[in-house]
Amino acid sequence: MEIKKLAESLNPIERKVVKVLDNFSSFHDIIKITGLKDIEVMRALQWLQNKNIVKIKEEQKEIVSLEDNGIKYLKYGLPERIFLEALGSPISIADLAKKAKLTSEEIAISLGTLKSKAAIEITKGKEIVMSITGQGRHLLKHGLPEEQFLKEHFPRELISLNEEEKFVLENLRKRKKIVKVGLTKIISAEFTETGKKLAKEKLDEDLIEKLNPALIKSGAWKGKKFRRFDVKINVPQIFAGRKQHYRRFLDEVRQKFIALGFKEMTGPVVETDFWDMDALFMPQFHSARDIHQGYYVKEPKYAKDLPENVVKNVKAAHENGFGTGSKGWGYDFDVKRTHRHILRTQGTACSARMLASKDLKIPGKYYAIARCFRYDVVDATHLSDFFQTEGIVVEEGLNFRHLKGLLRMFAEEFAETYQIKIVPGYYPYTEPSASLYAKHPQLDWIELGGSGIFRPEMVKPLLGREVPVLAWGIGLDRLAMFKLGIKDIRQLFSHDLEFLRNAKVV
Amino acid sequence: MPTITFSLKDLQNLVGKRLTIEEIQELAHYGKGDFEGYDKETDEVKIDFGDTNLPYLWSVEGFARLVKGILGMQKGIPEIKIHKGDYQVIVDKSVIKYRPYIACFSAKGCKIDDYLIKQLVQLQEKFCEGYGRRRQKVSIGLYSYKRLAFPVHYKATDPLSIGFIPLEFKAKMNLREILAEHPKGKEYAWILDGFEKYPVLVDDKNEVLSFVPIINSNFTGKLEVGDENLFFEATGTDEEAVNLASNIFAYALYERGFEIYSVEAKYPDRKVVLPDLKSEVINIKNEQIKHLFGLELKENEVKHILEKAQFDFEDYKVKVPPYRKDILHPYDIIEDIGIMYGFDKIKELQLTTLTVGSTFKLNEFIDTVREIVIGIGYQEIMSPILTNKDFLYKKMNIEDFGTIEIEDYMSETYSVVRSWILPNLIDIFSKNKHVAFPQKIFEEGILNTRKGDNIIECSRIAIATSHEKADYTEIRQVLDYIMRCFGLHYDIEEAEHDSFIDGRVGRAIVKGKKVAYLGELNPAVLAEWGLEMPVAALELNLSELWEVVEKK
Repeated sequence: MEIKKLAESLNPIERKVVKVLDNFSSFHDIIKITGLKDIEVMRALQWLQNKNIVKIKEEQKEIVSLEDNGIKYLKYGLPERIFLEALGSPISIADLAKKAKLTSEEIAISLGTLKSKAAIEITKGKEIVMSITGQGRHLLKHGLPEEQFLKEHFPRELISLNEEEKFVLENLRKRKKIVKVGLTKIISAEFTETGKKLAKEKLDEDLIEKLNPALIKSGAWKGKKFRRFDVKINVPQIFAGRKQHYRRFLDEVRQKFIALGFKEMTGPVVETDFWDMDALFMPQFHSARDIHQGYYVKEPKYAKDLPENVVKNVKAAHENGFGTGSKGWGYDFDVKRTHRHILRTQGTACSARMLASKDLKIPGKYYAIARCFRYDVVDATHLSDFFQTEGIVVEEGLNFRHLKGLLRMFAEEFAETYQIKIVPGYYPYTEPSASLYAKHPQLDWIELGGSGIFRPEMVKPLLGREVPVLAWGIGLDRLAMFKLGIKDIRQLFSHDLEFLRNAKVV
Repeated sequence: MPTITFSLKDLQNLVGKRLTIEEIQELAHYGKGDFEGYDKETDEVKIDFGDTNLPYLWSVEGFARLVKGILGMQKGIPEIKIHKGDYQVIVDKSVIKYRPYIACFSAKGCKIDDYLIKQLVQLQEKFCEGYGRRRQKVSIGLYSYKRLAFPVHYKATDPLSIGFIPLEFKAKMNLREILAEHPKGKEYAWILDGFEKYPVLVDDKNEVLSFVPIINSNFTGKLEVGDENLFFEATGTDEEAVNLASNIFAYALYERGFEIYSVEAKYPDRKVVLPDLKSEVINIKNEQIKHLFGLELKENEVKHILEKAQFDFEDYKVKVPPYRKDILHPYDIIEDIGIMYGFDKIKELQLTTLTVGSTFKLNEFIDTVREIVIGIGYQEIMSPILTNKDFLYKKMNIEDFGTIEIEDYMSETYSVVRSWILPNLIDIFSKNKHVAFPQKIFEEGILNTRKGDNIIECSRIAIATSHEKADYTEIRQVLDYIMRCFGLHYDIEEAEHDSFIDGRVGRAIVKGKKVAYLGELNPAVLAEWGLEMPVAALELNLSELWEVVEKK
């Protein structure tokens, strides 16, 4: 960037720093001279370095600095001075302590130091009496070497100390919290070649820092320059309101179904054995029931609002096939048990309700994104509380060939693939049953869903007659996890706000 | 769903043909099975068979039989020869009220080895656990009959009147001791709950074969390598199911080269010769094939396909092999026609009827509210619906106001259905104390409450803001904004709710409906969750609000 533009890009703080940098290079000095806060200077130096105006140097140096007591003594005087001042005439230790208001520790230290400097004399009689010497008076008048030392400007580099000062330092270091010597990072900065040129530029030009209503209104901005911004600079992150990542995915799935001509169907999460399993022609006492181990509700145990005639039909289907040409399961259907409340185990419960509903339209296409529950340990691949995507297509004349066409459409829409495999599967309520595998561009072959044509033993009791019903359920969680870039299924319901705020929007 | 393991070599021997792993993968689909893997070192293949009504496939012999049909190496119902045996089982009337049915046969002529024992045990366990309803409906026993003195007696007996050494044990125990002390006794004792007498099989010298359906005797009921004379029995509460078990085993052993001998079961009122290999006959119609699969097949094609599927076919009368009891409806046979024809060969058709897609009006309304709240700057979250009472009430400083509890939960953490949503938000705050403030979050979702015998399900939205200056005004502004967006007039009345600070909690009323609580969270609640920032929140019933909006 040309020097002039560069000069125009300096903000007021940078300008202050640039102006003093010729004479003062240490970080500490710059702060003192400019009166800026250390964080301001630090930032300004970094900005300037980013603009290749200065080069920041960092060195490890041994630094002498004052500690708490050192600062205190600098302000109120060393204890030995207070001691000496209190020693007008010979006095006992006890009286002196009272007079000087020193702690016994301070008395002891003062006593030692002053004795070694021959500033006091101790006479032992009935009691110990102290008196000041000539040397003592001299020191009182001209100052103790330790006092001189503390008055120096701190922090200072150890190598800048002369022999005498080093001797005093060693003495003071033996005392509690007066001075310390430590390794410290010393920051300084010097101009680069660009910086040197820049320093010669006129930096006092009146640049507009922030445009404001007053400037706009008065027109005072006319003829003035705005400080140039570094438009490439990184800025702090913001976060705002947004959809939950998995919910966004489900919203899109819903949109897709609507676009494909499907109507939404629903049902309660607290279901009954009836809609959840019996209406699906799953026998009450059969191992097929083991597939869907569920959560039964403690109270109220039984539902009161099942449609009596539909229950009667389903009962007949289980017992003798309900005139569908089926033998049925040939056992006594338990009507009380069918009323038992259970948390919905499968989205197909919604399909059963739809088939029995007076709102059903034939031909009709229906979908549900249903919250379901399974008796499962929650871990990286299992949730006991999850969503199932299910649906039906009800129309005279439909058969397995249409089911295949439908499954292909789903594979294309949801897994973005044209490569599919449709193989025999098993569901208690469909005949035929088929599983859909899709070759996902990245995940390779995945099982995308299960499907089939509802058995007549399921359809007739609910609908009153036999109509082909293509039924399907697609497993979208794996696709969702892939799209969202997550490995642990529990992250679909993540409680990590940082993650939620930064989750990929797909 | 049963996963079975077998040796690839064994399968190839049974089929009589070399098969690659890829071929096995494809062939498994015909049995509704998913190939799960092959271990080169042990030569073990694993397949998960999905159909819970086709237990004959839960053995390598059954799968090999299916494969022979698919490959055209065998047509129609596979043959099985039964020799007339002079073995008898006498069913005593004492057992009829507890576990009334038994099916048996004898097999001889082959030495069993370690691998075969494992295969037999695998089939036995899969069958009894799944199809046999954890042995309640069917249980199976295999014995070396050289140690038995026929006839065998099936009866019910007083638990203390008889004793024997159970499998893998050293001491003689009576039946009650076995239930109390033997691991299998403890596992299956529930089946005998409420029984005064327990079913047993004893031989003619009163030597116990088995305490049914719990455990066999260590003396007679233990198969050993080198045994060549087997006695099979299945007992249970469903005659068709015990016969099915017997037929599946008879076929499997026959195909291994055993000779099968019949056994006569003498019930108090009838005599039955077992195994009962009667075949069921089902009538199908050609139109049914067209109806389900859209396929037009000639009669000879249908015959050819069904014979591949190991049915016998004559004039649309289909005879079902005795090892299958899964045919309830002619469609079950039609499905097999489709499978054998090949799902991949059936041509796809597109749906052509135009239908109009739509979502529920309530869901559209919910989405609009979500959009508004997101617009104010709130991050959406989603939580599991299952939770616990501590979370909903104790930690929120309130009493249970009607909860749907789960009877047999797996973990206390997930033992009830949530009755309100705000605790989920507070939970999030407690897990994100280190994350930048302000934290503004919301969740919309389903919840359930219990009012006496009624279950009430509705959708609500909970909205919460947490930062140094979060207060009533801020959350009231949120509610106010939502209401204004829908042009709704609302009133606020003072409310009492211990999750909030007394005097800083209100209830919003729209058209007489109490639709929301809003206020500043009680510091007692914040302390309970370890929170250090103030929180203001509201929970709004969207199902009820929608009713008002819809009527407008």
